[in-house]
Amino acid sequence: MSFTIETNNLGRTYKTYQKKEGLLNSFRAFYSREYVEKVALKGATLQLEAGKIVGLVGANGAGKTTLLKILSGLIYPSSGTATVLGFEPWKRQNEYLKQISILLGQKNQLWWDITPRDSYSLLAKIYDLDLNKARARVNELAHLLKCTQVLDTQLRRLSLGERMKMEIIGSLLHSPKVLFLDEPTIGLDIVAQSAIRDFLQVYVDEHKPAIILTSHYMDDIAQLADQLLLMSQGQIVYNGTVDEFMAASDLKKKLIYRFKNSMQEKEMIFNSQELSVVLSQIIAEGEIVDIKVEEVNFEEVIRRFLAKESGSL
Amino acid sequence: MKKSFAAFWRRNLALCNLGIASNLEYRFNFIVDAFVQPILTVGIEVLLWLAIFKTAETAFIGGFSRESYLAYAVWAPFLGRITISWMYESMMVEEVASGSINTILSRPLSFYEYYLSQMMGYKVVTTVFSLLVPVAASIFFKLPIFFDRLLPAMSLVIYYLLLVHTLSFIISTLGFFLTRVRSFTLVKNLTLWLLSGELVPIDLMPAALQKFFLLLPFSSGVYIPLAYISGRGDFNLLVQGFINVTVALAIAGTFSIYFWRRGLHEYTGTGA
Repeated sequence: MSFTIETNNLGRTYKTYQKKEGLLNSFRAFYSREYVEKVALKGATLQLEAGKIVGLVGANGAGKTTLLKILSGLIYPSSGTATVLGFEPWKRQNEYLKQISILLGQKNQLWWDITPRDSYSLLAKIYDLDLNKARARVNELAHLLKCTQVLDTQLRRLSLGERMKMEIIGSLLHSPKVLFLDEPTIGLDIVAQSAIRDFLQVYVDEHKPAIILTSHYMDDIAQLADQLLLMSQGQIVYNGTVDEFMAASDLKKKLIYRFKNSMQEKEMIFNSQELSVVLSQIIAEGEIVDIKVEEVNFEEVIRRFLAKESGSL
Repeated sequence: MKKSFAAFWRRNLALCNLGIASNLEYRFNFIVDAFVQPILTVGIEVLLWLAIFKTAETAFIGGFSRESYLAYAVWAPFLGRITISWMYESMMVEEVASGSINTILSRPLSFYEYYLSQMMGYKVVTTVFSLLVPVAASIFFKLPIFFDRLLPAMSLVIYYLLLVHTLSFIISTLGFFLTRVRSFTLVKNLTLWLLSGELVPIDLMPAALQKFFLLLPFSSGVYIPLAYISGRGDFNLLVQGFINVTVALAIAGTFSIYFWRRGLHEYTGTGA
C-alpha cells in the first residue's frame, strides 16, 4: 500500500541562545553567547493515507507545528526522512507545491489590500490554472461557505470569520491533494467554527484530499479527525482513531459535586467501576448538597493524557 | 517549455498588477509619492543651486554652467528615486524576520520574482507620473537635456534596478541567519546614494576617485544615464554602464543563490 505521507525517524533541532537576566548580561551576550539545542521533533514515524483527516494534537511546544512545517516544505529536518506524494517536501519542487496547501490560522495568506476575488485571480495565475475554471471553483466554494457577498470587499475590511473563509477558499482553489491546516478555527466564534467544520467534512467526503489538522479546539478534532496523532515533547505518543483512544482510556466518568456552605463546584474524573470508592472518599470529606455524574468528554481525556505524558499530572 | 514560459509571464504580469493595485488602493499616499514628493525635491534643489550661483556671482562652478547644475539637480533625484528600493526591501526583510515568507515558500513561486515583479509594476507607474516633473522643469529652465536619449538611458536605469533588487534580496536572506537586518538597508542605501552620483556628480570628484566610481556598477543608476541625457557622457559611457551592471549582476546573483540556499537550511519557519 502506498501512503500519501510517510515519515521515518523525522527529527528537528533548533539552536537558540540563552541570555541571563540583567543589562550586564546583555553586554556579556554581545560578545559571547551561550547556545543550546532544543529538540522540537524526535523520531517521528508515521504513514498517512489519502482521503483522511488526521488530527494532530499536543500542548504548545509539543512539536505539531514543526512537523507540519517540515511536511509542507517550509523547513528542513535535522534527521530522518519524509515523503509527501512521493516528494521530499523541503526540496520545494513546483510540481510538489502545486499539489499541497498550508493554511495557517494566525496568518493572512491572501493579500491585505485587494479583494479576495482579485487574490484568487492572482493565485490562479501563480498555480497556472484555467481562469474560468478557477472562477467557477471560487463561486462553488463561496456558495458552500455562504460568503459570496464579501468576495469583492478588500480583505482588510473583513471580519476574522469572513477572512478565514476567504483563506480556506484560497487554499483549496488549486484542488490540493494534501492540505495542512494549522488552527483553522482559532479566534472564531462558535457559529463560524461550526460552519468551517461542516464545510471541511463535506469537502473531504467529496474530494478525498489528505488533511493534517492541528487545533486547540478538541471539538474540531472530535468531529473531523479519522485518525488521531498525539504529540508530547517532540514525540508521537499516540497514533490511532478517536474512538480507539476513548475506548482505551480508563477515565470514563466525571463526578461533579458541591459541599455545603460552598458555592464552588468540584470535579473528579474516574473509572466507572470505581464509583462507590470515589463516592465514599468524597462523603468522608464533608456534607454534599449537590451531585451529578456525567460521561467524560474527549477534551478532558486528551488534556489528562497530555498532562500525564508531559509529567505535569 | 513553451507553456511554462507563458505561465511565467502570466504569473509575473499578475504580480506586476498586484504591485500597482496595492499602491493605487491608497490614493492620497500614491499622489504624494508620485507627484508631491518629486515636486518638492526638485523645487528645493533648484532653489539651492539658483541661490548658490547668485551669491557666487559666477557663470561656472567647477567648469560647469548653472544650467548643467540645474539639469543635474532636477534629474538626479528623479533617477535616484527610481533606483532605490527601500520600500520593497523593507517588506522583504520583514517577510523573513516575521515568518510571513511562509506563504511564498509554500507556493510555486520564487521570493525573488515575487518582489521583483511587484516592484517593477510600482516603479513603472510612479515613474510615468513623476517623469512629468523633471520634463516640465527642463523645458521651463531650458536645461541641456537630450530627450531623444531618454529611452536608452531609462533602459539602463531599469536594468540597474535589477541589480538593486538582487542586493535587496541578499540583505533579506541575511535575515535567515541574523533575524534583524534593517540597519543593513540603511547602510546600503547611503552607500548607493554616494556611489551612484546622486549626492555629488561624479565628474566633480578628483580624477582618481572619478575613475574608480565609474568602474563600479552603481554609477549606472544615476550618474551615467544622467551624463548621457545631459550630454556630459557619450554612448560608449552608456554601454560601459550596461557592461558594469551585467558583471555585477553575475556576482550578486551567485551570492544571492548561495545565501538563499544556506538561509533555507537555517530557517526555522518563524511565527507559523
